Amino acid sequence: MSETTLAVQDLNVEFATGEGTVYAVRGISFALAPEEVLGIVGESGSGKSVTALAIMGLLAKNARLTGSIAFGDRELTGLKEKEMSGIRGTGIAMVFQDPMTSLNPVYTVGWQIAEAVRAHQDVSKDEAMARAVSLLELVGIPRAAERAKNYPHEFSGGMRQRVVIAIAMANDPAVILADEPTTALDVTVQAQVLSTLQTALEETRASLLLITHDLGVIAGLADRVLVMYAGRPVEIGTVEDIFYRPAMPYTHGLLGSLPRLDSDGSERLRQIPGAPPSLTDEPKGCPFAPRCPLREPLCDEEEPALRTVVAPEDSSGTGPATGGTHVAACHFADAVADLPVASMFSDSSEDQEGGIT
Amino acid sequence: MSDAGTAAPLLVVDDLVKHYARRGGTFVRRVVSTIHAVCGVSFTIGASETLGLVGESGCGKTTTGRAVLQLIEPTSGSVRFMGQELVGLGAGAMRDARRQIQVVFQDPFASLDPRMPVGESIAEPLHIHGMWERGDGRRKVADALRLVGLEPHHANRFPNEFSGGQRQRIGIARSLILEPKLLVLDEPVSALDVSIQAGVVNLLEDLQEQLGISYLFIAHDLSVVRHISDRVAVMYLGRIVESGTRDDVYDRPQHPYTQALLSAVPVPDPRKERSRRHIVLEGDVPSPEHPPSGCRFRTRCWKAQEVCTDETPELVDRGGGHPVACHFPETTTVV
Repeated sequence: MSETTLAVQDLNVEFATGEGTVYAVRGISFALAPEEVLGIVGESGSGKSVTALAIMGLLAKNARLTGSIAFGDRELTGLKEKEMSGIRGTGIAMVFQDPMTSLNPVYTVGWQIAEAVRAHQDVSKDEAMARAVSLLELVGIPRAAERAKNYPHEFSGGMRQRVVIAIAMANDPAVILADEPTTALDVTVQAQVLSTLQTALEETRASLLLITHDLGVIAGLADRVLVMYAGRPVEIGTVEDIFYRPAMPYTHGLLGSLPRLDSDGSERLRQIPGAPPSLTDEPKGCPFAPRCPLREPLCDEEEPALRTVVAPEDSSGTGPATGGTHVAACHFADAVADLPVASMFSDSSEDQEGGIT
Repeated sequence: MSDAGTAAPLLVVDDLVKHYARRGGTFVRRVVSTIHAVCGVSFTIGASETLGLVGESGCGKTTTGRAVLQLIEPTSGSVRFMGQELVGLGAGAMRDARRQIQVVFQDPFASLDPRMPVGESIAEPLHIHGMWERGDGRRKVADALRLVGLEPHHANRFPNEFSGGQRQRIGIARSLILEPKLLVLDEPVSALDVSIQAGVVNLLEDLQEQLGISYLFIAHDLSVVRHISDRVAVMYLGRIVESGTRDDVYDRPQHPYTQALLSAVPVPDPRKERSRRHIVLEGDVPSPEHPPSGCRFRTRCWKAQEVCTDETPELVDRGGGHPVACHFPETTTVV
């Protein structure tokens, strides 16, 4: 695919704080193809949400951003607030984790969707409201015309998130950016919201940047996956690459630590020892080295760049890879990719977090 | 894993009911309605056995756990522990019983006193039960810390020096210091990142094997529950809708709600996840203030018929090999 809707190139975000500079995002690059779903995974503090906020131009004032964010042929970094508002909603729409904070409690949901329509389209109030009702229908709200007159507090959490998705769809965006869209929800409600999100993608033909810590959600929805660790992209590949042939030890560790619904529980869970590094430290060497079972002297000296992982000789059965190559930031990526998933990590019950003497 | 079939079970919960009165009115706070939090829940737990109690927010699983601990007084029903009825027990007798039933809560940040060295927090139950002087308290604290994978010299540290996973280990050490027979674990790992969660889950498994302790494991995460439980009970709106061995419930679910719940959990395996059947339920869970008549799941059930409105289905074996509370049970594989 040569076309891209969103291209992020060498994005760095730093925050000046009282305790020094926090390097929240360090050199992230990716390209989102039309109608593609790219999942970004990582644990708390890995920089995934900061990446999202940077793309939306919503970073706090103490943030310093370098690198490029190109939406189609427009560069978004350095845009004035007014120009950026023109892109939010029509170009890139966002769905946040907590629908209660993204909806205004004092307006009806119909009014809020109509408002989003009128912000970017030249239509009458009645037309906007009619569009709001049809959007509510589309996201699966029963008795939409009636429910449009309700306030957010009269909706359940899952319904509110569907209203937020309706607002995101209102102006036919090219990209939807969803940051932990189902994290606060019960699992059956999550299923409803994910299915709504899929409807939204079919309807708008938008690409989706899906940020989540839930590898199950990624497995179901994403075409490609970007794994973040300590502010860096450490592995990028198709879902098949990431789940079946992970080439970065951290990805192995994440997959091995998950209890699985589809396994009878006889297999022990794997622990990743230690804790992520402080983001205020100047980077030196591989950020995962202190926790890595395969650590070599080289890992402390030289930070590995993202390198292409050699495809297995027998790559049949999976069809041609879509959307690019499999890359991993590990000096031993090729060897790691050939190891059984998570086999390098311990299944002990000892406390391995350390940090206390 | 257990010999619950032969010996009398450790814990027998029978027809447990907890209703809360909701009060309203401008001047007089009179009772305006009843919240049916738990309605006729029965289960048993054998020695060295783990019962997983699963369900979504508001299904009554936490209320059930608290009623077992007698932290709240049940409206009716019975909780028998080692043959002794706990409901209505006096404060002194309950304190003795509680030596055998301990609890671990979800939030390891809220459950430890920030001004108390963790060793003292762990020793507190010994003081409460007058066992500090009798036994060798200090040695017991050191043993408990070692048992949960920490070092004895950590006893002098304060909670803020520990990470979330380590604090949860301290909470477990405190719950074990009296050598209880049953632990009630209420969402013990849901506040932890997955890579930390793995170590705590492994620890709970090892402790059970070493100490022969039983667990009531309350959680919303169906994957963790499958991993750790011997038997599982699924709750919906105050009632158990299905129960059985882990494999009964996960491999051969019969209740439509269990099937919908399991099918909704995403599996971290792209090929499997994309070829699975996903049952997407309509609507929301009804309010426990006005639960539906008959089967409580009927308002969202694709099989619902008239009988479901009129008659509450009992939780009994309907030929599928394990108890299910549905008039139209049918084994379907969804995992």
